[in-house]
Formats: sequence, C-alpha cells, structure tokens
Amino acid sequence: MIRDEDIIRIAAPRLTAAERLYLPQVLDGMKTTLTHLFRRPVTVKYPEEKRALRVDNHRGLHRLNRDEQGRVACVACFMCSTACPAHCIHIVAGDAPWPDREKYPVQFDIDELRCIYCGMCEEACPVDAIELTPEYDFVGTTREQMVLDKEELLAVYDRTCGLKPRKNPRITGYPGTGHRGQSVPRPPADEAT
Amino acid sequence: MPRIIIDGRPIDCREDISVLQAALDAGGDVPHYCYHPGLSIVASCRLCLMEMKVPNPRTQEPDWSPKLLPACQTPVRDGMEVRFHSERVRENQRSCMEFFLLNHPLDCPVCDQSGECWLQDYSFKFGRAESRMIDEKCKNPKKDVGPHTLLYQDRCVMCTRCVRFTQEISGTSELCVVNRGSRCEIDAFPGKPLANPLQGNVVDLCPVGALLDKQFLFRQRVWLLTSTPSICAGCATGCAIWVDHNQGTLWRLRPRYNPGVNDWWMCDDGRFGWRYVHDGKRIAAPRVRRGSEQTTPDWAAVPQLVRFRIEEHVRRHGGATLAAVLSPFMTCEEAWLLIRVLRDKAPASTLVLGPVPTAGETRHFPVGATGNTVKFTIQAEKCPNRRGIELLLAAAGGNVLTFEQFAEQAGKGEFKGAWIVGGYPQPWVDKATAKLAAQFELLIVQDIFENDLLPGAAIVLPACAWAEREGCFVNARGLIQPFQRALNPPAGAQRDGQYLYEIAGFQGLYSGVRVRAMMAEKIPAFAQLHEPPPMPRHAH
Repeated sequence: MIRDEDIIRIAAPRLTAAERLYLPQVLDGMKTTLTHLFRRPVTVKYPEEKRALRVDNHRGLHRLNRDEQGRVACVACFMCSTACPAHCIHIVAGDAPWPDREKYPVQFDIDELRCIYCGMCEEACPVDAIELTPEYDFVGTTREQMVLDKEELLAVYDRTCGLKPRKNPRITGYPGTGHRGQSVPRPPADEAT
Repeated sequence: MPRIIIDGRPIDCREDISVLQAALDAGGDVPHYCYHPGLSIVASCRLCLMEMKVPNPRTQEPDWSPKLLPACQTPVRDGMEVRFHSERVRENQRSCMEFFLLNHPLDCPVCDQSGECWLQDYSFKFGRAESRMIDEKCKNPKKDVGPHTLLYQDRCVMCTRCVRFTQEISGTSELCVVNRGSRCEIDAFPGKPLANPLQGNVVDLCPVGALLDKQFLFRQRVWLLTSTPSICAGCATGCAIWVDHNQGTLWRLRPRYNPGVNDWWMCDDGRFGWRYVHDGKRIAAPRVRRGSEQTTPDWAAVPQLVRFRIEEHVRRHGGATLAAVLSPFMTCEEAWLLIRVLRDKAPASTLVLGPVPTAGETRHFPVGATGNTVKFTIQAEKCPNRRGIELLLAAAGGNVLTFEQFAEQAGKGEFKGAWIVGGYPQPWVDKATAKLAAQFELLIVQDIFENDLLPGAAIVLPACAWAEREGCFVNARGLIQPFQRALNPPAGAQRDGQYLYEIAGFQGLYSGVRVRAMMAEKIPAFAQLHEPPPMPRHAH
C-alpha cells in the first residue's frame, strides 16, 4: 500500500502569457517542418534505390569463400556449426579430393530462416571461409529455397567478392604460433646431417 | 601401505606402484604421454619429471636432488618426498611441450583428435603460449599402416604406446620405431600391415592425433558425441565399452576400463561390428496375421493382442504344446519377462535356449599366451548372454530343451505354438529351421531382420540391437554386467523390454533396474552385479 507521506505532489508550472498564446510553439514546429522540406530526404525509394551499407561489418547473407585455386576454402572443422546458437549449419565432412588438403565439406547447408545473423560462425572459422555479406535482400517462395547449400553459398561469394574481398589467411598462419609465414631457407642436406 | 609426501602433502598409496601413479591416484594432474597403466614403462616422454629428496653426499642430509627424475619410473618407497609444484619442474614441462610442438602442424581444425587430444590439453595447461620456432616445420606425409588405421607422423609425439601395445598386448609386433633422434618415426614393417584383431586399440591409446581410425575419420567431431556406458555384444567376453552417439546415430565404440574382463582394450570385431544397428532393412513395426490378412496394429493394442492369442492357444491345444526359444542376444531382464509371460499362461510350456553362434576358436592375447600371461581373450561364442539365459532357464525349471532337441521334437509335430526370439546380427534361420514354421499354429517371432520364419508367423515383433536394449548380460566368466540404453530403436519400433514389460502385465516405462530388483527376489544371483570402477582419467 502506498503511504501518504511517500507521495510527492508536483504542481504544474504556471504558463506565461506568451506560452498561453501557443502561437510561438506552433511557429517553431512549422520552422522544423519547413527546413526539412528543403533538405535531402533520408528515405530511399526501395527497391529501385538501395541504401549504401558498411560493407565490412554488415551481417547479411552468408557466403563460403574460395581459396586461391577456386576451391571451397572451408576445411569442414565444424567450428561454425558448434558455435552457432541457432543450430542452422549442417556439415557433412569428407576426404578432400586434392593432395594438399585433408578434409573438405561434402555438404554444407545453412538454413537462412533459422539463422539469427549473429556472426558467431564468422568469428569461429579458423580459416575465414565463412563470412557474412552485405547482401540482405534474398527471398524464396518455399522454406527449402531458403536452405542454401554449398554451391549456392559459393555463388554468393562469386557475386560479392568484388564488393567485399576475402580476408584470406593461411591455415597455420595464426599469430603467435611461430609459423609467421617467413620463408626461411633450409640448410643443405649435407650440412644438416 | 607406504606413505609418501607429494608437494608437502602426505599420501598413503598402494604398494609397488610408481610415484606418478600415486600422484594421479591422489588427484594430482601430472602431465604424461608414454606412461599407461596397462603397458610397460619406458620413461621416454620426460613430461612427468619431478624433484625428489635424496641424501646430500656431503652432509648426508636429505636435500632436493639437482637432477629431475621421471615419476613414472620411480617406485614409491615409504617416507620419500617429491614435489611437482616447483619452478624447475614447471620449466621442464614448458620446455618439453615446446619440443613436442616444434614440428607439429597445428592442424587442429582438420584433425579428428581435437577435443580429446592430450597435446591440446597439456599445451593449454603446461605449455607456452607462443612458439619460438622460426624455421619451417618438417612435413611428414601420412602413412597407411593398416587396413583400418592411418598414421599422421607429423602429429606424433613418439610416446611409443602403440609400439608397446603391439608387442605386449596383441603380441604381434607390427609397429616399430625407425630412425633416430629428430628423424625417428613410427612405422610398420614392409608387407606386414597393422592388421591384428586388437589393432583398433592403438587409436585409443594414441594421446595425440597421429593414429586415426579410417572408418571414423572425418565423420564427427568428438565434442558432438555423447558417450553411454555399455557392454559389447560381439562375443561372450562382455567387454565394457562406451557407445559414442550423436542425435540417435551411433558413430563409434570405444573400450571402457573393466579390470579383469577387458582392462583397457577391446577387439576389432566388437569395435567395427555395430553397423547392422543402422541397417535400413530392420523390422520397425509389429505385424499381425489372421488367415491371409496382415495388419500393423497400434503399439497400445499389442500387449492385449499377444496375451489373447496365447490364452486362446492354451485353451485350444493345452499349455504343453507351447514353447519359447530365447535368444542369447536378449538381456536377462527381457528373457525373465518372457519366461514370466509364458509360464504364467502355460506352466507346462517348454523353454529353449536359441542357437548359440560360434566362429573359429577362442583366441588369447598376446598371441601364444596361456594362463596368467593372457591379457585379452576373444571368445569363439559370438553372443553376449548364453550364460544369462541358461541361468534363467535353470531357475525357471520345468520343461527345458536344447535347440537341437526342440527342432527334433517340433519336426515331429509335438509343438503347436512357439515364441521364437532372434535378434542375431547375422542371418540365423537355416532351411531346417524355416521348415519348422509350418508346424506351428501360433508362431510369434521377435527379430531384427526379415527371415524365412516371418511369412508363417502370426505375430511379428521388432527386436532391438544391443545398443537399444537395457538390462544385463552374463559374460563367459559368469559376471553379471548391467548396461544402459544408448539409442532409441528405429522409428515405429518399441524396445523389446518395453513391450515384454507390458505383455507381462506391468504398466509404465520399462526400467532394467526395476525388473532386475524383481528378478533378484526370485533369483538371488542377480543381486550381485559386476560394475567396473570409473575409467581413471589419466589412463587416456
């Protein structure tokens, strides 16, 4: 129950004569409206016009990057699907068909309807193979169409790599592990023995 | 009982163990790679080095020795004092980890071991944050050492556990260390691949990702797997195992510590013999036949239906014409429930132990071992629970026949009704057995795969694979080993235990523990279970 002594009663301030006329306030508001009439509009005529986004950190549609040879850069380590809070990434790993790679994703599906676009997959990826793009206007007529498979995600890379190039690190080139990518000449074999 | 002082803490330990084992038993975390309680000691990894008090040669006073000593190779002695929490010991651990990682490719994202890798764990706990190596790492290609195993040599830490395993446990000595110093490698002899029946254990033994299982390779990441303790149903040894599964799919089996039965090991037949569990051809729904009409009843109607058919049969032909064939793949609880159903309706009915599959001869390891030197046994009897069924049949009394006697008498037409339980992973119904089906007016078959008995069966009930069952198996040494259910049966099927529980007149969910408690009242042997102690974490 509210006690009477806890209640603070506030009286409305008395208005001056000019304020009671209301006209200055109305004119003040009109001034704001009129200045906006001559400014450039903040809205755009979507979809004919589109807003310019900050390309580097907009979290839109996913893409799967390609490596230097055009192969899928993903190494199927499951870090993204482990980090994903929405459980929307489904990977099936397999033996890579290339001699210099161990593991690659045979299947890589992202359910774009389930995704919450938090960017954790991008954070977790050790090879920066999965990235979120500035692309936000993707549609589908069925739920199945919104589950993007590996080829579709690579296609997203193909159409967005001009806008946002891949960060492109080396797999073992983490900072602080000693392998800093310097080319150190090896001693000749007879010297080494 | 010797009392030793580790880091100032007095510890009472067992006789004849190493200081490392005593420290680990006392809950200490001492890094080690080469030490494994099931193998001989080589003290080659140098990670467990410790400081020990020895008499100073000048003063004869006990003082910390200037040299670090391997804890795995130093036996405990009453009154000794050692320490692991010292700067010198820590510095040694840091340096050792740095050497282990010198040529390590750090390909954890693609390595199957990551998540259960002791190189990851120890470098996190005891290693440096940064490597000072600026030279290019040595690359060592992966090697195919056997039909089931791959060796990634550049991930190896040369603990030689795998080499010692093939020498001491399997006794086949396929693996060896070749070259010396920084060039040393694990390898198999030319033309002699790693193909012994226990070779899968080297993958479990390997503390890093050097030895990997080809069948499991790249299938799952280990942190996604759930491990359920179970008992291997491959043979009568009854190895304790872990069933590793993810979202209802089994991915691999691993041995679980069970001293005296399988210790730390299991055989490849058991390890790779689970594929039938996910066979698409499994029976997944009950079927009922009346005349030529076959229907799939709702599970809720099944208990009443089965009871009614048996009662009707007993009324028309008498209980003595009824027989039940119990499979050695059933758990004791399921068999007990079935015996209870049958003997309740027809006390004069006959109980039969189903065919016991065998393959070859019982094999002991190391190869050629006898008596006390035997470290592992693969039984010729390829079923998990013959002794359990025999125990229940002996306790049930009344008419009990062997399968041969049953087949002979059934061939003469002495039985008009039978409840036949299969559940064998391999096809087991031969032509002679299939012919018997025609003799029965009421045939109830409980099996996992289609076979020639089913066309003549009045009721077909889907059976479960062992990973879907819950209960206990009695192994070749007569140990009653309980185990849990790891997986759900295929969609549409119910667990054997569940429908037998309902047919026996109980309500609610089947629980192995509850049924076992009821059994133990009638058969006291089931009150004494063999449950292995938890796997010591250090025996990785």
